[in-house]
Amino acid sequence: MIEITEHTRNVLLEVAKKKKIYVEGNFLKLLKAPKGDKEFEEYLTVCKDKDSTARKKRLSVTKQVQSQNKELEKAAKENEQLLLDLQVALDEAKEAEKEAQKLRDEAVEDLDMLQKRTQFELIGLIVKVALIIIIGVGVTTTLLYSVAMLAGEDTTLLGNAWSNMFGILLTNSFSIIGTIMGVKYATEKSE
Amino acid sequence: MIDSILLIDDEDLFHLVFEDACSLLDMTLSLEALNSSDEADRLFKKWFIEGPIEDRPECVFVDLNIIGSSFDGIEMIRKINTDYGNGVVIGIISSSDDTQEIEKAKAVGAQFWIIKSDEIEPRLEEFIKDYDGYQARTAPFKVYK
Repeated sequence: MIEITEHTRNVLLEVAKKKKIYVEGNFLKLLKAPKGDKEFEEYLTVCKDKDSTARKKRLSVTKQVQSQNKELEKAAKENEQLLLDLQVALDEAKEAEKEAQKLRDEAVEDLDMLQKRTQFELIGLIVKVALIIIIGVGVTTTLLYSVAMLAGEDTTLLGNAWSNMFGILLTNSFSIIGTIMGVKYATEKSE
Repeated sequence: MIDSILLIDDEDLFHLVFEDACSLLDMTLSLEALNSSDEADRLFKKWFIEGPIEDRPECVFVDLNIIGSSFDGIEMIRKINTDYGNGVVIGIISSSDDTQEIEKAKAVGAQFWIIKSDEIEPRLEEFIKDYDGYQARTAPFKVYK
């Protein structure tokens, strides 16, 4: 403990009275009032009370700040977790979008293939029917012409009709082939 | 009253809390607070090698997880007790109450474990009551909850 000299005692009391400045902190705990000096004892009690009040106030504020800091830290961690979850969800959404795009492309491709197949089947059918008609008409006319020739009938009209018919049929055949080739060429180009 | 206390804790705000609590409880007149175990390690090394060894604090409170330090509180206690001649009352002050960690601390020579919370004063008050036993090395390891 530190015993205060008369001069220091008077200065401390004066400063407290005039300027309201009091000794504070742990140093205060080292000060000892001279024996029987009631005034200085009271001064030390006031100093201790003031120091204790200030410390209590500071302790309370610090604890509040500490608690708020903890809450902020907790909130920051939650936010971080939310951001991470959001990022994961975003990645999943991107992945799903890619998958959907892939499926859509596959579906479009399938549809295109189906359309082409239908087109080719239709063309094939037209060609078959056309060929059947051409061959049928050719064969019928030729048979008629042959029967007429074998029977010794006049074949002038039939001969002309046969040659005309054959010419027309050949022309039409080439026309059909040309059309098929054209369609095929156009389809290949659009691919 | 404890002659001198050293607090090793990375949280500056807790330094203020601890300092005010110690002052209000008249625990000590001399309190030094450090942020890292590395700094504390340097000081203990200095006191142990260069001396004077009496400059060592009388009581040391170490946080369990000291962010930004090379080693944690348990390792700090082990170093002080085995590498730097022991001789101080030492324990953990942490918000954790992990029993495994408590056992580890006990194994390296910690004398107490104080759980940090908003109401630290009642625990410190209880600690002061037991302090003489810690100094005389007669008090058993205790967790202040």
